[in-house]
Amino acid sequence: MTFESPSKERTFKLELCVSLGLLLLAWQIASLFLPEYVLPGLQLIVGEFVKMAEERTLFWDTLLTLYRILQGLIGGFILGGVLGVLMGTMKKSENYVMPIVNFIMGIPALSWTLIVILWFKGTETRIFALMLAVSFPVFSHSILDAVKGISKELMEMTLAFRPTRSQVLRMLVLPSITPHILTAWKVSIGFAVRVVIVAELVGASTGVGFRMIQQQSLLNMSGVLAWTLVLVVSGLGMQSVISKMETRLLRWRPSAS
Amino acid sequence: MPKINCLSLTKVFRIGTRNFTAIKELSFEIAGGELVSVVGKTGCGKSTLINITLGLEKPTGGRLTIDGREPYGEFDHFRGKLSAVFQSDRLLPWRTVLQNATYALEILRVERDARLNKARHWLEKVGLAGFENAYPHELSGGMRQRVGIARAFSFDPEILLCDEAFGHLDQVTATRLRADFLQLIRETGKTSIFITHDIDEAIELGERVLVLGKPARLLMDMSLSPEWKKDYAARSNLKDRIVKTIESDEAEIGT
Repeated sequence: MTFESPSKERTFKLELCVSLGLLLLAWQIASLFLPEYVLPGLQLIVGEFVKMAEERTLFWDTLLTLYRILQGLIGGFILGGVLGVLMGTMKKSENYVMPIVNFIMGIPALSWTLIVILWFKGTETRIFALMLAVSFPVFSHSILDAVKGISKELMEMTLAFRPTRSQVLRMLVLPSITPHILTAWKVSIGFAVRVVIVAELVGASTGVGFRMIQQQSLLNMSGVLAWTLVLVVSGLGMQSVISKMETRLLRWRPSAS
Repeated sequence: MPKINCLSLTKVFRIGTRNFTAIKELSFEIAGGELVSVVGKTGCGKSTLINITLGLEKPTGGRLTIDGREPYGEFDHFRGKLSAVFQSDRLLPWRTVLQNATYALEILRVERDARLNKARHWLEKVGLAGFENAYPHELSGGMRQRVGIARAFSFDPEILLCDEAFGHLDQVTATRLRADFLQLIRETGKTSIFITHDIDEAIELGERVLVLGKPARLLMDMSLSPEWKKDYAARSNLKDRIVKTIESDEAEIGT
């Protein structure tokens, strides 16, 4: 996609506008026949956004939720990355560590939500612990696979020059696993958005999830939808940042991929 | 004292519950500055010999020493001394041609400017000036192998090992690259071991040819003078002899 010509990209954008436009049109028409609490008109949702912006919740709660997602994912990435590299480089450690990682991965996010509420005090600590617990197994799995997949030939070639351990890590391991790290981030972001909302719904008094349940308790459908839109757009936004990084960091790849 | 001394070298691999002997009591000596071809059938333990010489694998028995030291045992002593050109180019796909040529120099912590100068110099030598910023996937197989050769020469190693370095290439490209490569080795006077399954190639490149059986052990050791090499009849005669030797070794082992 990144290597497409500008004109091709323009048609793509045009198609996107048409399909979204049709959806909005259908929505607006349907809203004329359905009650407001089922399908509010677009003007009501826009109004909701104006209200959210005036109350400053649009900015601050969105920012807070994004911060929680990122903080948790960075923690999960570091823990998972360390475990993945460890398992990939130290023989047999995988046999000891992986069962635990898999066990933790098997615990549903909802169970974790309840567990962290009982284990920790303070909203931020709870949410961080939750995000860490659900994200690190994914990272450690994909980074372990990536480390195992490093070309033996390139490793031998490198070792023949007598590098230090840190040189091997920096000059061979890290660049080899970068594509897999980026893919893992993309998957994890989609997942994290869903988990963080549940956490905020259940145990927070700030953030997008909390605002959603607040609107729901007021039976304000347009409010719920407005916050949902915020979530969808934030998730897509973060993923597009990763995609941008991908094109930058992986520009050495043949364009066919 | 010989540069490389290989004394009843043996390597046995364990595959599942079975033992597989790759090298059996192999002995030879190579003097400094010699250019030696090692020829043998595919799968006769030639690559294992390369890996042991590079210090990447430990011999099961016997010794291989370079200047009296073992490359595996005294791994770090050989920093900046050994270099190799492999069958596949083994370039890092995320590095440009220039960055690949500086890879070994970077590991050896050569200062940045000197690194770039040396890499550029060798890229020019192998005929890749102007391709510095290309990525490996943008080059042909022959050009990629040239980058590998530039990388191998870049840090002025003492010993150069070549493992089927032209095996992947078409004949025309291989012939040209072989000639250029030989030229570079002559210019630099490096001790070189050239491992191949191609008998013509072995005779073409080596000042001396070692013929290995399967599992690897010495069947023949011939010195070839440049005058002798011009004698085509003698060359084809030698080729026949090498083929017969390898065949009769096979019959003896019963494989």
